[in-house]
This record gives sequence, structure tokens and C-alpha cells, in this order.
Amino acid sequence: MNDGFVWFAIAFWLGGWAFNEWLVRQKFSNPALNRLAWFAVPVIFGAAIIIIWEGVVIAFNIPPILLPAPSDVWVRLINSLPILWADFRQTFLKAVLIGYAIGCGSGFLVAILIDRSPFLKNGLLPFGNFVSALPIVGIAPIMVMWFGFDWPSKAAVVVVATFFPMLVNTIQGLSASSSMERDLMRTYAATWSQTLIKLRLPAAWPFIFNALKINSTLALIGAIVAEFFGTPTVGMGFRISTEVGRANIDMVWAEIAVAALAGSAFYGVVALIQRVVTFWHPSVRSGRS
Amino acid sequence: MKSTFLAALAAGGLALGAGQAFSADEITLQLKWVTQAQFAGYYVALEKGFYEEEGLDVTIKPGGPDIAPAQVLAGGGADVIVDWMPSALATREKGVPLVNIAQPYKSSGMMLTCLKENNVMSPEDFPGKTLGVWFYGNEYPFLSWMAHLGIPTDGGEDGVTVLKQGFNVDPLLQKQAACISTMTYNEYWQVIDAGISEDQLNTFKYEDEGVATLEDGLYVLEDDLKDPKFKDDMVKFVRASMKGWKWAEENPDEAAEIVLDYDDTGAQTEKHQKRMMSEVAKLTAGSNGALDPADYQRTVEVLLGGGSDPVITKEPEGAYTLEITDAALSN
Repeated sequence: MNDGFVWFAIAFWLGGWAFNEWLVRQKFSNPALNRLAWFAVPVIFGAAIIIIWEGVVIAFNIPPILLPAPSDVWVRLINSLPILWADFRQTFLKAVLIGYAIGCGSGFLVAILIDRSPFLKNGLLPFGNFVSALPIVGIAPIMVMWFGFDWPSKAAVVVVATFFPMLVNTIQGLSASSSMERDLMRTYAATWSQTLIKLRLPAAWPFIFNALKINSTLALIGAIVAEFFGTPTVGMGFRISTEVGRANIDMVWAEIAVAALAGSAFYGVVALIQRVVTFWHPSVRSGRS
Repeated sequence: MKSTFLAALAAGGLALGAGQAFSADEITLQLKWVTQAQFAGYYVALEKGFYEEEGLDVTIKPGGPDIAPAQVLAGGGADVIVDWMPSALATREKGVPLVNIAQPYKSSGMMLTCLKENNVMSPEDFPGKTLGVWFYGNEYPFLSWMAHLGIPTDGGEDGVTVLKQGFNVDPLLQKQAACISTMTYNEYWQVIDAGISEDQLNTFKYEDEGVATLEDGLYVLEDDLKDPKFKDDMVKFVRASMKGWKWAEENPDEAAEIVLDYDDTGAQTEKHQKRMMSEVAKLTAGSNGALDPADYQRTVEVLLGGGSDPVITKEPEGAYTLEITDAALSN
């Protein structure tokens, strides 16, 4: 079985590679087939990586404490769903989502304020720069001190991590409309707020969504790293750091898999909303976003 | 196949292959924690040339909050590690065959330290309180103790709320926890240094509660012991290390100075290290390096008696050997 699987892994990898090479060169007349092919390429690639990983672990007898086989990780994942769900709820549904909302929201509002007044621009922008340079491992223990060891301190770290990208991108976006368009608004006798809502914010959406996408991954990373410090005994970061010490590396990988899925789904949802909101943008109109 | 792969790993900047001793008499020791007087014996043996006299070239690797010694050993990054028996036995049960070859520490230095104002006068007062616990393999003694007391550790009225304590004493100072984990030789004094006097504190030593487990033993991989050369090196290593430990017990202040010299981080202070050394000396004093099977048995029973969630599920076999210390201490 052992050697057999290794050969199977090598064969699968070469076969998948060849098939993908062929697939990306095809132009199917049927759009559904095209879509399927577009979807199949990364799936085959991912499957090949996992099968190669399994093969390497078997072939070289790698001890599970260094690298568990994907099959072991899968078994552990299936058997620990209640724990993984509790961790997901603690870290993602509480710390990440709440911190993300507050961080992005405040970044957006401060950008509007800065846009309104040069005085604030001179004062707040350097401060935003300063906040962005704070290392997460440095602020996480301090947040634990201020907000206790439960999820609010992790949410606070997420706020700090997400605030700045939102601020900078929104400011950039607000100056995206051309002077010609702004002049037109002035000839209509539009107020500042009318100009903002009807012209400048729509023009800024692509920038703002960029920040939202960047922040979706930053928020998850921030929350997980923040949980390496004082935490209750639940949470994705807590589990990862604890199970390493307990030599349950399969559990660590199971948690990483959940984090990767959650992060991808989060990113995907933001990208989907972007397509709906910025339907007029060239990148969306041409069918690619 | 295996050895070629590990050689490739070594070339890739990872450590040398598991199960292969290094070339002539080079030995790498992986500590459980950062450079401090907790490991004074090894630093003294290095500084005073005790290892050299035995013909050993010893490298001491400090640990830290993100280093699991057993993993370093399994990955071939060390020949011998300092670890606590609970995590060593738990790791052994998970398929990494660690074997205890010597036990320089006779007694446990672990305790819970509580502020008196939190009204924790005896273990009966634990339910409903928040207690700080170290994780990363250091949680086993605590979980065993709670299991013995029959107190659930998932919060609520009758249970304790467990807070994952960083490796500091902040939760107690900030009133986030009623009690925190401390070592007699380290964190307890950090609390004192933070301006809290000893009479404001009450402590529960694991030794006094009858749930003490062995700390800071020397562990190697079972397969390595099949190699007579490696075994011989370990005999020399244990002999020189114990010589270092006894020297450190007799000259605590000088030992602390030696540790300070080896601390590259510059984080340790002389006052703290001297105090630590004098406390550590109390824990190592009862041991000549040989593991007392009675202590081992007590540790195993504490860990097995973990109620619904025991640290180890069955009596370990072959988890220690007296061969090394017998040979090291006979001449």
C-alpha cells in the first residue's frame, strides 16, 4: 500500500499537470463548459498538492509531530467539529467581524473628515501612519490589559490593523473624480455633501473595496495572532498555539484549514458585493473582476 | 530513503537527521525555557569545563514561548532536552518515544499564587473564580489537579474559568484573575517585584497539595539509546551536568553570574537570577540526578487520575531508564 500510494501520487501529479496544460488551451463553444474548465484547473492543482503531500509523508516516514498527512488532518477535522465551531465562533464571528466593522467604519469616517478639513489632514494623517506601523505582537498584550482577555481585546487589535488601509484608500478614492466632473457639479450648484454622495463616493468605490478586501485577510491574521497572548480557552489562535505545545500537529493543521476557508469565504463575499456595487466599472463590465 | 530525505532537510537549513548522533561527541541540549538560573547546572558545567573534561562539545539552545522541546528533539534539532514529565509522557503517548534519562530536579516549583483580597483561602474557594494557567504543554499539572478536586474547568458557577496566561504575571496585577500560575523561583518574585508584599498573597504549592509532577528532567529519543556510542555520551553528559548542578547549589551567587554571562538577550537581572538560583537550589538539592521510581509513579498516578480528560490514558512503559544515571554516578 505504502509504495503503491507514492507511485499513485507521482502519477496523479503528472497526469493532473498534463490535463491542466491541455485544459487551459481549450476554447469550448459551450460557455458552461468554459466555466467548468476555468473552475477545474485550480481544483486539480490543489488536489495534486494534497496527494503529493500525502505521498511525501508516507514515502519518507515523516513523524506526525513534524508534518501530519492530510488524511490524518481530515480525520481530526471531522472528529473535532464542535471544538472547531466554538473556536470559529469566538475568533471569527466575534473578534474578526466586530473589529472589521469598527475598523473599516472608523477609517472611512475619518477619511471623510480629513477630506473636509486641511487642518485635520495635517494632524490625523501622520497619526494614522503611526498607528499602521505598530506591530501586532506589540499591541496585543496592551489590548489585553485594557480590554480584558476575552474577544474585545482581539477585536481592538483588528480595529488597529484594519483602520489604516481603509483610511488611506478612502482618501485616495475621494480624489479619484476628475476636476472636469467636479466643475460640472459646481455648475449645478451642488453642495459639498451632494457632490460627495453623487459623484465622489461612487468614484471612490473601487478604492474602498480594495481596502475592504485587504482588510478581510488582515483582520483574520490580526485576530489569530492576538490570541497567542492572554485568552480564554477557546479561539483559533488559542487552539493553534496550545495544540503545538501538546504535539497535536494534526489539530493545528485542521484549525489552519478552517482559517483558510473562513478567510477565502470572507474575501469572496467582499468581492461579490464589489461586483454588485461597482457594476459600472470597466473591470466588472468586461466580465472579469 | 529516510536518511536521504533528512539529509536534504539538513541542507535546507533544518537540523540533522533524527536518530543520528552528531559526529564525535558533539551534544546539543534544548532547554525548556529562556536562559535563566532554572538551568544553571548546565551553564556551570559548560563554563567550568566539566563537559570538556568528559570530552564533550556541548551546545546549549535556549527555549522560549514558541519552542516545544519535544518537537525540536523529534526534528533532530537536539540530542537531549529539558522537559516536564507531564508533557513528555503525553508526547510519548502521541508517538514520540521520549525517555527520561536523568532527573536533576527532585521537587516541583509550581504553584498558584492568589491575592488574599480575592478570598481564595483554600481549594474549596476555587469554583466561580478565574485562574491563570500556562498552556503549551504546561497546563497538564493544573488540569490534573482540578480533575482530582472534581472542579470543571469550563467556567460557570461550580467550575473555574481558565485564562490562558501569557508568561508574565499581568493578569493578577490587573485583577483579571483571582490566582495565577507561578514558579517558586521565577514568577512569584515578579509579583513581589511589582510591589505586592508577601503577606498580601497566599499560595498553593503543587507539592503541598499532593499533585506535584516531576519537572525539568532530561529526555532523549528511545531509538537513540540503542546506539552504545550515544549512550556513552549521555552518561558523560549527565555526569558532567550533575557536577555542574551540585557546584551551582554550593555557589549560588557565582552560578547566577555565569547564567547572566550566557544570557544574550540581556533581559535577566542579577538580583532576579541570584534569587532564582537560591530557590532552584531548594528543588535540586534532593536529587543526585537519578530518577526515583517512586516519584515517577506518583507523577503517573496524578496524570492518570485526570477524571474524564486524563493527560495520559494508560500506564506508560519504558518511559524512563536508570541505566544512564547508574553508570554516570557509579564512578
